[in-house]
Formats: sequence, C-alpha cells, structure tokens
Amino acid sequence: MRITLHNTEIFASTGGRDFDSTGNVVIFIHGSGQSHLGFMLQHRFFANRGWQCITPDMPGHGLSKGTAIKTVEAMADWYADFMQATGITEATLVGHSMGGLIELELASRYPHLVSKAAFISTALAIPVNDALVDLASTKESAAIAAMMDWGHGSSGHIHEHTMPGTSHMFYGKRLMASNTQGALHAGLAACNAYTNGPTAAAAITCPTLTIVCGQDRMTPRKAGLALNRALDGQLVEIPHSGHMSTTEQPFDVNKALRAFF
Amino acid sequence: MADYKFDTLSLHAGQSPDARFGSRAVPIHQTTSYVFDSTEHAAALFNMEVGGHIYSRLTNPTVAVLEQRLAALDGGVAAIATASGMSALFVTVLALCSAGDHIVSSSQMYGANINLFEHTLKRYGIETTFVPPNDPTAISQAIRPNTKMVFGEVIGNPGMDIMDVPAVAKITEAAGIPLVVDATFNTPWMIKPIELGANVVIHSLTKWMGGHGIALGGAVIDGGNFDWGQNDKFPTLTTPHFGYQGAILWEEFGPAALSVRIRTEGMMNVGPCMSPQNAFYILQGLETLGLRMEKHMSNTASMLDFLVNHEQISWVKHPSLSNHPDHEAAMRLMPKGQGSIIACGIKGGRDAGRAFIEGVQLASHLANVGDAKTLVIHPGSTTHSHLSADAMASAGLTDDLIRISVGLEDIKDLKDDFKQSLRTASKVAAAKGTAA
Ligand SMILES: Cc1ncc(COP(=O)(O)O)c(C=O)c1O
Repeated sequence: MRITLHNTEIFASTGGRDFDSTGNVVIFIHGSGQSHLGFMLQHRFFANRGWQCITPDMPGHGLSKGTAIKTVEAMADWYADFMQATGITEATLVGHSMGGLIELELASRYPHLVSKAAFISTALAIPVNDALVDLASTKESAAIAAMMDWGHGSSGHIHEHTMPGTSHMFYGKRLMASNTQGALHAGLAACNAYTNGPTAAAAITCPTLTIVCGQDRMTPRKAGLALNRALDGQLVEIPHSGHMSTTEQPFDVNKALRAFF
Repeated sequence: MADYKFDTLSLHAGQSPDARFGSRAVPIHQTTSYVFDSTEHAAALFNMEVGGHIYSRLTNPTVAVLEQRLAALDGGVAAIATASGMSALFVTVLALCSAGDHIVSSSQMYGANINLFEHTLKRYGIETTFVPPNDPTAISQAIRPNTKMVFGEVIGNPGMDIMDVPAVAKITEAAGIPLVVDATFNTPWMIKPIELGANVVIHSLTKWMGGHGIALGGAVIDGGNFDWGQNDKFPTLTTPHFGYQGAILWEEFGPAALSVRIRTEGMMNVGPCMSPQNAFYILQGLETLGLRMEKHMSNTASMLDFLVNHEQISWVKHPSLSNHPDHEAAMRLMPKGQGSIIACGIKGGRDAGRAFIEGVQLASHLANVGDAKTLVIHPGSTTHSHLSADAMASAGLTDDLIRISVGLEDIKDLKDDFKQSLRTASKVAAAKGTAA
C-alpha cells in the first residue's frame, strides 16, 4: 500500500493481502536502519491467518520517501498520524528494537489506539555506543557491518536460514544499505537520546508480551527482562536467538505472537 | 560468535550439526518430498509465509546448506543451486528477460554461454549484442532502452580476457540494469564480484568450487544490491507474480526478489535442480577451496616460469604476464592470483600440439577445467578441429594453442611430465621441418 502522509509518499506492506482497517489490525514497527522487510516472516504469516497486518516503512526507510524522523517521541506521533490516515482506530502493536521504544511512547500516550502491545528484542532504553553513532554518519557501511555482526546470534553467523538458500548477514546488510543515507544515524541517535522508557512503561495499561532472546548482544536478555518487569506482562524467552529474532527464529517468534494475539 | 572469515565459512556456513543425531558431516537428504505437519503448515509453505521444504525440485535441506554456504562465500543475500552452470545462467535470464528484450554480452566466453545467447534465446525473441569484455566503451554503447542485463565472464574461457568489474558496474548502474557475471574461473577466493558492484554471480560449480571433477553443478548468487523498483524494466519482480496470491516480489522480499523469482519460476516451472548427492559432493570440495586455490596459484606460477623459458614453447598467455592485454586489470582485481588456466603455443603447429597432448602421462586430456588434477586440451585437434584457421583466429584461437588447467600435483612431477612430452612434440615438429 502507498499513501501520502505529511506530503511524503509512504509504503506499507500488508503481507501480500488486501488490507481492511476495520478488522483485527496488527501494526509492525521496525527498528533503526530497518524496514518492513525485517518482518517478512511475520506479516505474511499473520496476514494469511485473518489478521489485518500493516508494516509501514518510516520516512527515509525501505520503500518510503522522505527523511528520517529524529526522535522516538516524534516517531510515535508519526505512527499515530499513520493510523489516522489509514483509518485504523485500534490495533495490536508489534515493535522490534527501536520499534519497541516507539511502541512504549505510542501505547502510553495514545492508549485508545492500542489494544495490545508485543515487544520483541527491545528494552526500556537502548543506549548506543557513541563510536557506533559516529560511524553511522562517517562510514555507514561499516556501522551496518558492525550491527549485523552484533545483531545476529549463532544461526545468523553460520548463515543458516529458515528460508532455504538465504543468508541472514548479507540479506540484513543489503536491507539496511537500501535505506536513505542518514536514516541509520538518525535512528541510532534517537535510541541514544530516549530516556522516557520507565515512565512510559509504567503508564501502559493494555496487555503486553515481551520476547527476550538469550544471544541478544544489542538489547541483552537482562534489559529485556527489566522491560518485562516494568510492563508486568507476559514473557517469552528464546534462548537460541540473537537480536534479529524475527528473521533468525521466526517460528518461535510467530508462535509466541500467535498465542498472545 | 564472530563475523567468520572465508576459510571458516567454507567449512561451516549453512550448517550446524544436525539436531537429531548430531551428524557433523552434512546429511544427504535423499528425498523428493517432505511430510507436512498439518494442512495449515502445507498451505503456509506453499504461500512462502514460512521457510521449509515442499519438494526437492524447489528446495532440499542438503542443497540448502550448499546454497547458504555459497551465499556466505560470495556475499550474496541468497543462492540457488542448479544442475549445471549452464542452467544457472538460463534461469537467471528467464527471470529477467522476455521476448523483445536485449542483452549485452561478452564475446569472449565459453562456447555454450555464447550459443545460449546467440542461438537459443534468439529463437525466443531475446537478442544479444556481443562486445569485447575488456572494452567498457563498447559495452556502454551497446546498451539500448530494452537491454535488461550486461553479462560476461570475469575471466573469459579460454582467452582469459578480464572484465573490469568495477568499471562495467559503473556503466550498468548508470543505465539502471544489472551486471551479471560468470565467476567460474575466479571463484570467490580470488575475487568477489558482488563487492565490486556486480549484481548477480553465476558459477559452474563443476570446476574449481567442487574441484574433484565428480559432480556437475551450478549456482546463481543474488547480490541483493540492485534496486529493481528504480524503473519499469523488470516487471517480473515489480508487478504481481502469477502465483503466491499475486505477491510483488520486490515489495515482499526486497533484496532477495530475484532469487525468489528464480526459485518460483525457473526451478518450479523448468526444474534444473541439483541432486542432494551432488550438493554433498560439492560441499566436500568447498571445504578445501581456500587451500586448493593457493596451491593452484603457486603451481600455476611455477608452470608459467617453466613454460616461458622452454624452447619448445613459442608463446604463453596468462593474465599475470605483463604481455597479457588485461594484465593491469588482473593484477588490480585479483592480487591473490590470476587463475590457473594457461594458454600456450607449441612450436610445430597442429601436429606438434597433438603429439604433446598424446605424450603427457600425468596430465589428463579432457574437456574440463578446474579439476584438482592437471588437464590439457588442444582445441585445434578437438573442440575446434572443424574450424578453418581464419575461423579459429576470429575466436581468438590459434592452431598451436594448448590450454592447460594447472592442478595440484607435485610441481616437479608435473614439469617432468611436460618436459618429456614437449621432447616428443619437438621431434614431430623437427620431422615436419616446422620447429622454428
Ligand atoms: C566459464 C564457464 N561458465 C559456464 C560453464 C558451464 O558450466 P557447466 O558445465 O557446469 O554447465 C563452463 C563450463 O565449461 C565454463 O567454463
């Protein structure tokens, strides 16, 4: 689906199915330097099981035009505007990594829009090493390579994908490299600057699920568990996944999401 | 956990020890089909909502290990293994080109590559313009509005003409079309064309990648570095697929759109799949690719030194030699070695060439390259014996040309074998009075 929001052409994947905003809507929220493609193995799966899935690419990401939004709070406002523009009055949210921070803001400040919230490989705060933030603006390809290295667990590093013949590391690199120059830096800087997580989490009243991964080196297990304590919701642990759990361990992620939806 | 390097990936990529029995070697899944958990699982597989296997024409677990290993070694987002190198090229063209389209291709290539473009595809309405691979200007000028790809061998067979991949990639990028290269003669150990801007890599795995000469195989490596949505030239990727509920592959699978198209069309509807047994054999070969390539290169260097200084040899052609027309590009692009194919001329023409080929004892006279064993062929008396001297010349082949694929034998034994056979050739040449 392509819509115009704030004078910018925005692409949103609907998992290969027609989208009905009055149905049981699930919005997937991608992380820094990512796009709808990070949820390739979620939105098709749920769209074909009756959910109305929609995964917009934020401005400057994936197939959307425009330039990246600079703060987590503004990104949450953007998703609220996106929901309004697409006629979605209420949705289940699924956020990955920085998408989880956006989700904390969205669910706490726009509670009427959110029925349930699933948090995947994320935390109350995602401090990013200053060197990596700098690298994202001075040598983006090196920052991407470092993130793909850190972002993947054992199956990612051994290039063992559930989609036969696919490489996690190189698919991830190309996905990130296809975003607008500067989008990754904006996302990482936004993560680094975001401090409202604990307050937002305390204000969330809808049911939540937190998926925490044992080999996650970007939002480590401990940070995921702290998020779950703050949310006081359901918890699912995937011990054998790195940070990129939506592609590394899609069966486990989908099973947990399906039980939660 | 680390960002593993080449030799580690050659051994491990694509496989963790089998969860059920702990097999360390890659199990051979000799099966045509796979039991579904439920009708829902079957439907999900058929609709590409989940990963997994349906039928071995599409995917197979042993073949998938090979594919993932190849993607890892070449830096591709995905790979598809095929029955042969030729079918890898065919399924790629099938995914990108339709009747009325045009291809710009290198003129200096393996014969079947040329014939596919010149004769077979032409019958289906796809035209090809042939240009020298080492002439970027000619490549650029041959591109038309309906051109859908530029193709060439990174190292041409048999003349070892070098395509300057970064220079050609600049041209194709500006034209909004992909650069597809055949990397059979270089392997990812020598040069990774995707890192240099190529978009799709084709391999004949039959050669150095397998290395043992026991299994045919091919592969397409999808670089994932081409924006298929930038123009309207690639409707197979940017408009609804005939299956999968009309999925638009570029939107649904992004960087892997081309490989998904190949899987769901070329493999599905044409079916040149690799057998699990062959995938297993090729995986065994890949485990030692780095080691073998080093020895291929060092033996080639010694052999070049021997041939250049041998009185019975009139000329030697190899990209590492300063008299090769593409020497500069070869040294710049392939600093670790410039390949293990040598062309040379035997004094005494066709008869001396024939005598040399028949005289070798260790080297094998056969029509292949890239085996662990040294191979020799005299095109003048075999593959091209039907050609006149003029026709040979325009194909870049001379009457006295011998093609050597340098293997991994002890170099002293190889040299001794060549020495004794060149002695025989010199007697033939002397008898005919053509030694000079
Ligand atoms: C450069 C090159 N490409 C492709 C092929 C075709 O490969 P296969 O024999 O595996 O079909 C060959 C085979 O001789 C070759 O030399």
